[in-house]
Amino acid sequence: MTITLQLALIGITLIYMYFILRSMKLKKMHPSFSIFWLFSGVVLIFLALVPQFSEWVSYKLGFATPSNMIFVLTIFMAFYLIFNLTIAVSKETQKNVTLVQEISILKKKIAQIENKIDNK
Amino acid sequence: MEKPKILLIIPAYNEEESILRVCREIEAVRPDIDYVVINDGSTDNTKQVLEENNLNHINLVTNLGIGGAVQTGYKYALENGYDIAIQYDGDGQHDVNYAANICEPLINGEADFCIGSRYLDKTTSGFQSTPMRRFGKNIISSIINTFWKFKVTDPTSGFRAANKKIIEKFASDYPSDYPEPETLVSVLKDNFKVTEVPVNMRERETGTSFVSIGSSSFYMIKVSLAIILDSIFKQK
Repeated sequence: MTITLQLALIGITLIYMYFILRSMKLKKMHPSFSIFWLFSGVVLIFLALVPQFSEWVSYKLGFATPSNMIFVLTIFMAFYLIFNLTIAVSKETQKNVTLVQEISILKKKIAQIENKIDNK
Repeated sequence: MEKPKILLIIPAYNEEESILRVCREIEAVRPDIDYVVINDGSTDNTKQVLEENNLNHINLVTNLGIGGAVQTGYKYALENGYDIAIQYDGDGQHDVNYAANICEPLINGEADFCIGSRYLDKTTSGFQSTPMRRFGKNIISSIINTFWKFKVTDPTSGFRAANKKIIEKFASDYPSDYPEPETLVSVLKDNFKVTEVPVNMRERETGTSFVSIGSSSFYMIKVSLAIILDSIFKQK
């Protein structure tokens, strides 16, 4: 890995970490997701700082180049995240349905009570 | 069971033309049973029709689809202490004269869940649906029969009666995508007694089905997969 590429990688991951930490500070993200993002940032910084490590691992695992291994790694991480997001969305959908049903039943009850009061 | 409290659950999405007639027919034929129309966020004048004519109804604050709408009805039935809940279409397809037939096995304690079938006795129902739909229905039937050894002639029928135990179950858990075949599987899974009685169904008078004809083969694949998966994961 050339020094220019390494510096660029470190710079990019630092910016990446900045956004993750800022959104954690502003409480924009659910803790379970921020842990994932933080972890991904740490891994990327480590790989950028110690290129020998990724070279050694990719050689051992039989990747043609370290960048290939990092691509595979990030794709797996993305899959993991999408999978968890799908589950989160499904849970939210179910909660929304329940809320809509309960609110609608309550609205009917309120209308009935209002009617009774008006007719008295 | 003496004089059970019966509720008709009528899901309605854009049924402004038929809903008044359907409700008036129920009031005329069976004044002893209650009904509740679940207006599933209709974009036409269904809401106004329901309010102006003082038809018992619940307006869903947003559109939930057939599963969420029907489940609201089961929740309402549970809260108001009904013994039997019958699902009934808002488009005039179902015949309220058969409400007694469909409730009978539940009142006698022969079954917990009863499906009104238009295929069980061909002379009862004037409307037999298209060959394409019958073919699809046969596939669903044979999947259910393979897994559950239960012969169902009309798995997609929306005319069905549930007793108190099933009302409780459906109020807490109801599938959203393909409710008719999936609820049947979920009821069989919990070892409830299920039966079918012949009913008459009329041809849809107005409105369109929740399942459009163009996408029916895609629907078939998805329903089949859903019920196979439901059946494979037999544990509750």
